[in-house]
Amino acid sequence: MKKNYVAYSVMVILFLLGAFMPVILKSYQMNMLTEIIIFTLYAVSYNLLLGYAGLLSFGHAMFFGLGAFVTAIAINHIPGISLINAVLFGLAATIVAGFIIGCLLLRHKGSYFALLTLAFNSLFFVVATKWSSVTGGDDGLSITRPDLNLGFTSISMTNANHFYYVALIVVGIALVFCWYFTQTAMGKSVVLMRENEERMKFLGYNTNASRLILFTFTGALAGLAGCLYALHFQFVSLSAISVDMTTAVLIMAFVGGTGTYWGPILGVFVYILLQNFLSDITDRWAFFMGLIFIFMVIFIPGGLSQVIMNLYQRFFGKKTDDNTEVEETT
Amino acid sequence: MSDIPVFFLHGLAYAGLLFLVSAGLTLVFGMMNVLNFAHAAMYMLGAYFSYSIMLHATGQFWLSLMLCPVILFVIGGLIERFLLRRVHALGHVQELLLTFGLAYIITEAVKWFWGNYPIAINIPGVLNTTIQIFGITYPVYRLFILCCAVIVGLVMAIILFKTRLGIILRAAVNDSETVNTLGVNVPLVFLGVFAFGAALSGFAGVIAGPLLTIYPGMAQEILIDAFVVIVVGGFGSLGGAVIAALFIGELQSFGVLLFPKLSMALVYMLMAAILVIKPSGLFGEKQ
Repeated sequence: MKKNYVAYSVMVILFLLGAFMPVILKSYQMNMLTEIIIFTLYAVSYNLLLGYAGLLSFGHAMFFGLGAFVTAIAINHIPGISLINAVLFGLAATIVAGFIIGCLLLRHKGSYFALLTLAFNSLFFVVATKWSSVTGGDDGLSITRPDLNLGFTSISMTNANHFYYVALIVVGIALVFCWYFTQTAMGKSVVLMRENEERMKFLGYNTNASRLILFTFTGALAGLAGCLYALHFQFVSLSAISVDMTTAVLIMAFVGGTGTYWGPILGVFVYILLQNFLSDITDRWAFFMGLIFIFMVIFIPGGLSQVIMNLYQRFFGKKTDDNTEVEETT
Repeated sequence: MSDIPVFFLHGLAYAGLLFLVSAGLTLVFGMMNVLNFAHAAMYMLGAYFSYSIMLHATGQFWLSLMLCPVILFVIGGLIERFLLRRVHALGHVQELLLTFGLAYIITEAVKWFWGNYPIAINIPGVLNTTIQIFGITYPVYRLFILCCAVIVGLVMAIILFKTRLGIILRAAVNDSETVNTLGVNVPLVFLGVFAFGAALSGFAGVIAGPLLTIYPGMAQEILIDAFVVIVVGGFGSLGGAVIAALFIGELQSFGVLLFPKLSMALVYMLMAAILVIKPSGLFGEKQ
């Protein structure tokens, strides 16, 4: 139980640090930080699939993009919709989509699953491209952030810092919930399922149901990240739902390390900072990002979090006991 | 409806192309249990290489048709030997991640070297004519694609089912460890199969160039179609790939004629239907 207190207190400290950032950083950096926070949720949700359940999906962007598009469409077509309702629309759409797609795909495993998720991602992309009367096609959709109405007071969202706090609080709660999820029996059974599904079945677990719940849950989280993404940029383009967005989250999660809970969070920081750095010096940043990814796959499959833990172990001797739930069960 | 024979032939030509791409994919998958996401990227490389060869050797289509598969054979061999084999021990997920990453890098490299815009390739002189067939005028080039696919398919079938090498290959699909203990150099066989698959997709890329315009998104486009072929035909089944490629080629072709708006979605609907009715595919064994 002690371990849990450490994890929660680290999260609280990070949250408080985040709350002070608008005082220190300039607006350009604040934009980047908001982006990082949103992608953190996206990457953590992906890691629940890849790192915890061992399900390699190449279609996570379909939920991200769906959330983004549904939110944007709701804001554009329902006059006077509140911020919360717009997000709820996006969330509901991804939950339904996640459930239906999960029912279709989860009978397959390994390569089959990976292939089918990619195919479904391109289906979503094709629909978004062809249905341009609703999605805006290549032009994308522009939206204006509605104000946040809390009942007793209304907060204007035209100020970017206000939206930053909304994103910080929503993502913070979602991340704590994800961590809590990994500590529940359900969360642990997902890891056990990855290790030995046969045995779980013999013990009486309905592994298909667990997998479907996890798939829908992570899809919904990605959709929530997509909603925030649409609200942050006040613009949604086809790239939000393209396979490139899946590649992005894959690289984020993998560079950070899929073996730990916090790895992907680190990965998002590295990815976005690196992307900004590389795009300053070369137009071909995506190519170099790919090279880094291949290099990591071959030489450092555990990601940066693996490197950090190895270093920690070397210098501080005793075995690290922070949130390495995934590692311990292997 | 005098269009029907034309669209039927169009469908056959595209089916031929699809077969060339998915045959290599399904062979590698059946044998090595590696789903090669970079397969279609090699097809794209084939198309771009042939474009460059024809640019510098003034329209030597036949030269590029012979050279590109060789280049891709070498590239495929290098990828298998130095990248794929390295991560093989790390497990399945790593292999998929590697091929996915390779596809990404190749796409970015193509954008870098050849530019992110479509390029049209002229149909080579001899084939740039039309002939009268079944009372309609039809371009020879599409029939040429169909012939190529049929010849390649027949050669593959003969090798697989009539030669000693074919016996080894089919045995390695079933149980590579036992084949290895029988004194066959299985890693070498895998290397050969992977490189051959790459060469095949390179070949497909060369002949696809004049038919479709070439652009950096072409890899992903055909990759999805090839995946649908594999899902519908059954994983690792060459015969299934033939039938499914024909089916999807015709579906695409008549889809454009009958439901122009839905034509892209039809293929996905077919895939979803197969997933619901028969998840292992038409000719696949039960997983």
